[in-house]
Amino acid sequence: MSERTKARKKARSSTSQPPVPPKSDVKATEDADLSPAQERRHSRYTRPRRYVSRVGAVLGLILGLAGGLYFAWVINPPQEFDTAPWQLRTDDRAQYLVAVMISHTYRNDLSDTIQRLVALELPGDDPIQQVADVACNLARSGYVNSSSGLRAIRRMMAFYQQQGKSGCADTLIPAGDDSSPEVVQAATPTPSLQPPASKTPTLPAPTRPSPTPPTIIVLPTSVPTSSFTIVDLRTFCSSEFPGVIEVRVQDFEGTGLPGQPVRVRWTDGESTFYTGLKPERGPSYADFEMEAELSYTVEMPGLSDPSTTPLVADSCFTEFGDQSVTSYRVVFRSN
Amino acid sequence: MTRFLLSLLGALVIGALIGLYLGWVQFPVKYVNSTAPELAAQYQDEYTVMVAGGYLTDGDVEGAIERLRLLGRENVPAYVQDVTERYITNSRDVQDIYALVALSEALGRLTVIMEPYRNVVVPEAAP
Repeated sequence: MSERTKARKKARSSTSQPPVPPKSDVKATEDADLSPAQERRHSRYTRPRRYVSRVGAVLGLILGLAGGLYFAWVINPPQEFDTAPWQLRTDDRAQYLVAVMISHTYRNDLSDTIQRLVALELPGDDPIQQVADVACNLARSGYVNSSSGLRAIRRMMAFYQQQGKSGCADTLIPAGDDSSPEVVQAATPTPSLQPPASKTPTLPAPTRPSPTPPTIIVLPTSVPTSSFTIVDLRTFCSSEFPGVIEVRVQDFEGTGLPGQPVRVRWTDGESTFYTGLKPERGPSYADFEMEAELSYTVEMPGLSDPSTTPLVADSCFTEFGDQSVTSYRVVFRSN
Repeated sequence: MTRFLLSLLGALVIGALIGLYLGWVQFPVKYVNSTAPELAAQYQDEYTVMVAGGYLTDGDVEGAIERLRLLGRENVPAYVQDVTERYITNSRDVQDIYALVALSEALGRLTVIMEPYRNVVVPEAAP
């Protein structure tokens, strides 16, 4: 019996339970007894195999997850239901906001109105400023072409102005009673005519025929106490005046009124001009040259509703068979 | 190889189930840019009531019809009548009913059930 065997026996007999060496020690001992070639074979072929391939499981999980999400989000997403106002497209959300505003006039419940505005999740932190922004966008669009739209925007303006906010609608749609006189300087080569009497505040200085051009005409845009309506809107085709909107503004008796603002709007712009700047056509006359194929509305800002019929500068033929662009004659009359 | 394929297949199924759960339940698709006709019924009713309230203050029937067209209803008066009768039947807010009845009447859709709510002077809401 070797010395080592004796020592082992001695060690075993000293304790009832033989000490179990740590696994690492066992492995180290076993490995120490194996040659490198045996060790390689041992690790590859004698290692107990797992039932699951890690690579396969991870790969399958990733592919399955991606496939499941793709199916759930793209191929077969849940049917749209329970759509809330904030999910509406921008235009429809603006219309919903308009409804909230006109409803506010009825219910006059500010907290409820604010809650509805917040629920719309319009961009920005301030829901009341959002109303001003939407009113601005609507005032720039054709929404103001109807009296209902104009009225709705004015309600929106009243709402946000009461809350101390402002927007571009304030300038696009001026209130009828707070516009200040405005001086318009225009150079004209022809003499100015005496404006006829009107029921509106009289013009301060009757203009006298001026011998030398240019003449500066000061036209106060005083606001009459009453509003105007379009009493006549007709087309004509002339090769001399192609694509022109001829506007006349009259008081309730049919007398022409000079210095009255007239605004023409089109898809992406607007222009304001004044009656009386072409005295040779009369004190109530103003005109605007349209661009071919564009559609316009005409109104007296803050004093009348916009024309409900779009004025389209499409082509026409004169009575002599010449091709021209359709022109319009519009008459505003005080109520 | 079989072990790999079985593992791949099993994990694929588990992954797909997890993906479906996440995609349908936990993080479902949120629709945006929806149109007004796709609004949930409760919001369509709410919108109709708001428009009716606006009508009660300005008497603009055409404006109210124009606004309700946004909901994509072919027959706006019939739709308003339906909402009104439903509000009455379900004993909803009486001020909403007043507004709806007024609009229904303006649209020529006054029915017997609406009669008690006609011509009622709506009290001013408290500021």
